[in-house]
Amino acid sequence: MEPVASVVGIGALPVGKYVDVLEHEMLAQALVQAVTDAGLSKEDIDALVFALPRPYCEQRYFGTFMAGYLDMPVDDILLEVLGNGMTGGLAFDLAVDRVASGKAKVAVALGVNREMHVPTGEHMHLSMRAVGDVDFHVPFGVTPIAWYALNATRYMHEYGLTREQLASIPVKNRRHAMLNPLAQMRKEISIQDVLDARQIVRPLGLLDVPPRSDGAVAIVVARPDIARSLGRHVDVVSRGFYHEGIHQVSSRPTDLTTFESARIASGKAYEGAGITASDLDFAEVYAPCSIVELILTESIGLFPRGTGGEAAAAGESSIGGRVPVSPSGGLASRGHPPHVTPLYNVYEAVEQLRGEAGDRQVVGAGIGAVTAELGDYNATLMHILSRPENRA
Amino acid sequence: MPTEQLAYPPRMTEFTAPFWDGLREGRLSTTQCTSCAEISFPPKPLCPGCWSSDVTWIDLRGTGTLRSYTEVSAAPSMFAHEVPYTLCLVDLDEGVRCLSRVRNAWDELVPDARVEVVFREAEPAYLFEFVLFADPSTSTSEEQELP
Ligand SMILES: [Zn+2]
Repeated sequence: MEPVASVVGIGALPVGKYVDVLEHEMLAQALVQAVTDAGLSKEDIDALVFALPRPYCEQRYFGTFMAGYLDMPVDDILLEVLGNGMTGGLAFDLAVDRVASGKAKVAVALGVNREMHVPTGEHMHLSMRAVGDVDFHVPFGVTPIAWYALNATRYMHEYGLTREQLASIPVKNRRHAMLNPLAQMRKEISIQDVLDARQIVRPLGLLDVPPRSDGAVAIVVARPDIARSLGRHVDVVSRGFYHEGIHQVSSRPTDLTTFESARIASGKAYEGAGITASDLDFAEVYAPCSIVELILTESIGLFPRGTGGEAAAAGESSIGGRVPVSPSGGLASRGHPPHVTPLYNVYEAVEQLRGEAGDRQVVGAGIGAVTAELGDYNATLMHILSRPENRA
Repeated sequence: MPTEQLAYPPRMTEFTAPFWDGLREGRLSTTQCTSCAEISFPPKPLCPGCWSSDVTWIDLRGTGTLRSYTEVSAAPSMFAHEVPYTLCLVDLDEGVRCLSRVRNAWDELVPDARVEVVFREAEPAYLFEFVLFADPSTSTSEEQELP
């Protein structure tokens, strides 16, 4: 399991609502925190890979604006990347690749998502145009999370999943978030609260789906030899990507109860790391809704098909369980600033692997997976992170 | 009653006009590849399967099975006056899947139910939606089995 690159520094703002602060003020804070954490200075950074801010960011050409704001010449590359929900994951992937390919010694993946100043109805208007065919889906009033609700109805029908079993996922994630100082939603909830919450996209209610959120994250990636000279680090050992060539829904009927892209991408990532799913000590996944986490845990091989709900209800995916999933609290409880959510996933994985996750520490965490996705998990990006000295 | 105006109308082009015109005439149509026979939905000027541009318009029967559905209560601002409405995925009998709305109440719906197309009269375009299929032959055959 040779590292391709290593994470040497992380910085993030608590997920929440940032109204009286500007995007660049938020991101500068996360970046300085990450670079300081790495024990580096701005002169050491060769590459800046930004998650493209969503359209609500007033400042356009945000990446080059930031370089000017921070008086920061960059040698290798500076760019903004976009891939819907996968955006932050692509930024991390490219930063890793700049280092792994020898083009940069130190690369930073970073991004800010600030949208809480935009009313929800207006916000949904823009997102529905991203997650459906503008001419053949949007006129029906499709919403981003409606696609996941279609997975839920079908899954409940095929596997007899109960609403209570499904509700155990948001309850578990809230318990995790209560232990995470970065999390937005930290008030305890019960199964009954989830069942009683107002409907959003039936059968999913308010507590099954993510809140709207702002946030900023920076992840410093370095060549493994540099990482070792700096001291504490976490290795990136492999990655897997797959896009199934579908935008939300295929005209050729496909199975709604599994994520094919996740099965394939995770298979590639496991093979690259020389592991199987059962070797993972935890998974910090991109799962906007309860049902997405359930289907994903099956698709990446943590639980057999049809058993994810039962497993979650039995505590198998809780911290202390067989394979903790979303120890950060996940998207619905840590919060979901879409374009940077995958970077928050990396942040959590690094804290876990460093053994610095406090009360939500997964004991003996030596190897973990992070995922990012877009559409209805039409594409999946998985990275495997490891801290060899922690491995049993 | 004034004609309903769609909250978010589709764009109509020279190529897609036969589809939208068809809805006004009570026909759900799409394109089929003349090389490999693949049916595309929505209609496309090339075949997504083999990329041939040799496609032809066909009428779909408008019958299928209700693969899944969800009732939307929280909608984008422009659809807020329409909630709740129920989105569905229907697998048409010709083997293609489409996203639409189903008009029946939530409690009447069950996955895999048979559905048939109905047309929503609106401007600037009609839309296609689905209702549970009331198959008269089923009740007839049951009656025939009675002594
Ligand atoms: Zn063809």
